[in-house]
Amino acid sequence: MSRQDALQGSLPLLVLKLLERRGPLHGYALATHIEAISDEELRVEEGSLYPALHRLEEAGWIKARWMKTETGRRARVYDITATGRKQLDSEETRWKTITAAVGRVLKQA
Amino acid sequence: MSWWSRLTNVFQSERLALDLDDEIQFHIEERIRERIASGMTREAAASEVARRFGNPLRLRETSRDVKLMPWLDSLVRDLNLGLRMLRKNAIVTIAAVVSLGFALGACVAAYSLVDALILRPLPVRDPDRLVYLAFTTFRPEQPEAETFNDPLFVSLRDASHDRVDLFAMSTQVMLPAIFESSGEKERVRTQYISGDAFDLLGVQGAIGRLIKPEDDVPATSIAVISHAFWISRFGGSPSAIGRRFTINNRAYQIAGVTDARFIGVEPGRPTSLWLPYASYNPRAFGNAQFNWFRILGRLKDDVRPEVAQSALQTVFTSFRRERQGLFDPGTSSTDRERLIHAPIYVRPAANGPSPLRHQFGRSLWILTVIAGLVLLIAGSNVGNLFLARAAAREREMALRLSIGAGRGRLIQQLLIESAIVAVAACALGLMFATVAAPSVVGMLTAPGDPVQLDLQMGWKLLGFAGGLALLTTLLFGITPALRASRLAPMTTLNTGGGRSLTRTGMFRPFVALQLAFGMVVLFVGGLLALSFARLSNVDPGFATSNVLLLDVETTRRIDGSQQRTAFFNLLDRLRLVPGVQDVAAAEYNPLGRAWTAFIRLPGKPNEAIETTMSPVSARFFETMRMPLVRGRTFEPKDMEANAAPSVVVNESFARRYFGEQMPVGRGFEGRFNMSNDTPTQYNIVGIVADARYDLRKPAAPTIFMPLRTSGTIHVRTAALPAALVTRLRAEISGTDSQFRVTSITTQSAVLDRTMLRERLLANLATFFAFVGLVLLAVGFYGVLSYSVVHRTREIGIRLALGAGPMRVIRTVVMDFGSVVLIGVLSGLAGGAYLSRFVEALLFDVQPQNLLSFALPLGTLLLMVLLAALLPALRAARVDPVIALRSE
Repeated sequence: MSRQDALQGSLPLLVLKLLERRGPLHGYALATHIEAISDEELRVEEGSLYPALHRLEEAGWIKARWMKTETGRRARVYDITATGRKQLDSEETRWKTITAAVGRVLKQA
Repeated sequence: MSWWSRLTNVFQSERLALDLDDEIQFHIEERIRERIASGMTREAAASEVARRFGNPLRLRETSRDVKLMPWLDSLVRDLNLGLRMLRKNAIVTIAAVVSLGFALGACVAAYSLVDALILRPLPVRDPDRLVYLAFTTFRPEQPEAETFNDPLFVSLRDASHDRVDLFAMSTQVMLPAIFESSGEKERVRTQYISGDAFDLLGVQGAIGRLIKPEDDVPATSIAVISHAFWISRFGGSPSAIGRRFTINNRAYQIAGVTDARFIGVEPGRPTSLWLPYASYNPRAFGNAQFNWFRILGRLKDDVRPEVAQSALQTVFTSFRRERQGLFDPGTSSTDRERLIHAPIYVRPAANGPSPLRHQFGRSLWILTVIAGLVLLIAGSNVGNLFLARAAAREREMALRLSIGAGRGRLIQQLLIESAIVAVAACALGLMFATVAAPSVVGMLTAPGDPVQLDLQMGWKLLGFAGGLALLTTLLFGITPALRASRLAPMTTLNTGGGRSLTRTGMFRPFVALQLAFGMVVLFVGGLLALSFARLSNVDPGFATSNVLLLDVETTRRIDGSQQRTAFFNLLDRLRLVPGVQDVAAAEYNPLGRAWTAFIRLPGKPNEAIETTMSPVSARFFETMRMPLVRGRTFEPKDMEANAAPSVVVNESFARRYFGEQMPVGRGFEGRFNMSNDTPTQYNIVGIVADARYDLRKPAAPTIFMPLRTSGTIHVRTAALPAALVTRLRAEISGTDSQFRVTSITTQSAVLDRTMLRERLLANLATFFAFVGLVLLAVGFYGVLSYSVVHRTREIGIRLALGAGPMRVIRTVVMDFGSVVLIGVLSGLAGGAYLSRFVEALLFDVQPQNLLSFALPLGTLLLMVLLAALLPALRAARVDPVIALRSE
């Protein structure tokens, strides 16, 4: 299994979690954070990151605004919304239940 | 993301694309920087990042799609589907668009008139701070006056200058101006204003200078013209400045042109020429009886109108108390107190004080309401149309629902269909309004004093029409849409497209609405038509046909007695023109303004009686065909300056003041000349039958006295009056004549003009009532036909089981019986409510009258029956065998 595939389906969850914990972030920061925290185990593919971000934005879970970085460059920064937090809660629970269930199966099979 | 930002995304897709690029570009730059920081060369880093990213264009497309495509796509698809659906029923669609468009156009036209005459503020600085003054007169025919005299104005202005800046603007008149360059008399709408008026209004000059406070001196000769007059009279040439002209033998010189947006303070009657009020008739100054101008004012900052009012009231009351001597001599002491304490009002003047609005404002609102009701009738038709359409597509809808289409999507699709109809109707309506509104303005116009309303078919109107169309769509498109989306797919699909009996019930709300609105329109239209009919049938008491009215003026300055002789000679000459039956003159035309004066009857020296005075020449009663009751009419000798003062009175006068005794040969005291302090003894030589000077009122007691200097020439002609005009004109301005014609009209035109408002209301309201009735009949016919077609099977069964055709008809029609009842009853209630606002405009018609209700009710029911006839017959002719086999 490639490292990229490992992320399949869980990217929105990670984005929401990161935004909840670390406040407003731009796309690049989100990608580097995920890679750094997972010790490069999870690699974020740009080709899927941005459509995912825009889909989340479309769903109303995150919202974006333009900000100036320290270097004066214009960057689009994302932040989690109230409905996004609710979504994160349920997604997180679901993820934990599933991984726990999968773990149990692997252990007891 | 809200639908609004999506919508803006659609229109700003260029920006959206740039934003997406920028976001990705930022990412790429950061990545490259990181790689360089970890020791890579720039080139290596760039190529690695590029490889990693793949094709940025595709990335952009994907993201863009996420944001726009699903919605836009569905929109375009719905639009296409909607257009296809509408085209499939082209005739029905066209009918819907035309009826809706027409009603919408009528609304928009009415609104544009209301806007121009009533709503739109004057194009001046802070119009909301402008006020004008008015006061109670206690006279029923004119409860409020708005004109003031010079001494009162000065007192009011000086006493309130810390709260409001008052300025004077005379009532507008068409005055003959003679320009030095042409020497011809031109009628120009003129207004005299105080020097601070332009400044306080905040009007700017286009070129030259405007009238200023220093022009408030009698010697002034400055004049200011409007931009429109500058363009029309001088072609916009700067050489207009400095042009000289005279008005009433006084010389003026044009000093400036106002800015193009300002066309005076009176909507409908744009001013062409402004003169300093100091140049007005010198007798008007210091004279508390000469009321000739409006007082307008600009409230000081933070001063409320009530605060200004209290200061003005004090001055007004004490001014009247000091000048009690000017009250009518017969005024009782309680009336005297009442007059002294008459309230003065401070009225908002943001949209300008306008007699035209007084006359037509309410009528225009009523027409707007009626047009709105017709729009609702048309809208209900469209609503039913969409209901039927949605019902026919129930299967399709149910299928789409069952395979997972969102209900929101279905609603969206149906609403888009109605929006297409609305947009088309809106376009049609605007076209109609651009033609209709100016023609209504034409109807308001009296000859010689044209009404010009700035109708402004601009964005505001477009917005109004669009808003109205949108509202109508929502109102009548939402029910069918919601209904369709609430379908239960299983039942609908199982029952094979819904043969449900409740089907025809869905039309009921709109049918009831239509009948109610139709009833209101018919009721109000009926009242107005009846009122006009009654008014036109009033016998004015004189013959109005074949009478020409000519106003003349002297070509050069001659003194009073010379003019009088010349004028009577002219009358004699005109009498000899072939085709002329009789000629006379009167200072006031019957149906025109009248003059009142006080007289004292013998035996009642302390009682001053106010009567209407009408100075006329010999042969006046013969010319106007006013029958002589007793005594004699005027003869040429009565007109001589030194003749014994004789008068003719009308029957009302004789009856009121002399009762059964015949007053011929008796006399009374009168003081008809202001300069003359000793009263003159007048002898009554004849009595004529009553003639109305105002069609709406019974004849007032009137005294006809010998003509003083000159007046309007009344010519009775044998044939069509128009044929004689050239001949008479030539005779009047013949070689040795000292007169020329200033205006020619006919007595019947004057009669028509007095019924201007009634005619306008009656014509338009009847027209709307007719259109409403047709729309309603078409709609009801459609609904019934639909219901018969869809109940063919049921009808077939009924017939097969032995029901007679009458019974079947009853079943089909009675399905709507209760709806008709509810609609008509609520319509009557609505009409009764609305009639309170119409009542003030009615002549000799009581809304509570049985006839007022019966007429529209009968018409409506007849129309409903006619509309039901064909579908009912079709129901009765259903062949049970065919009906049952068709399943």
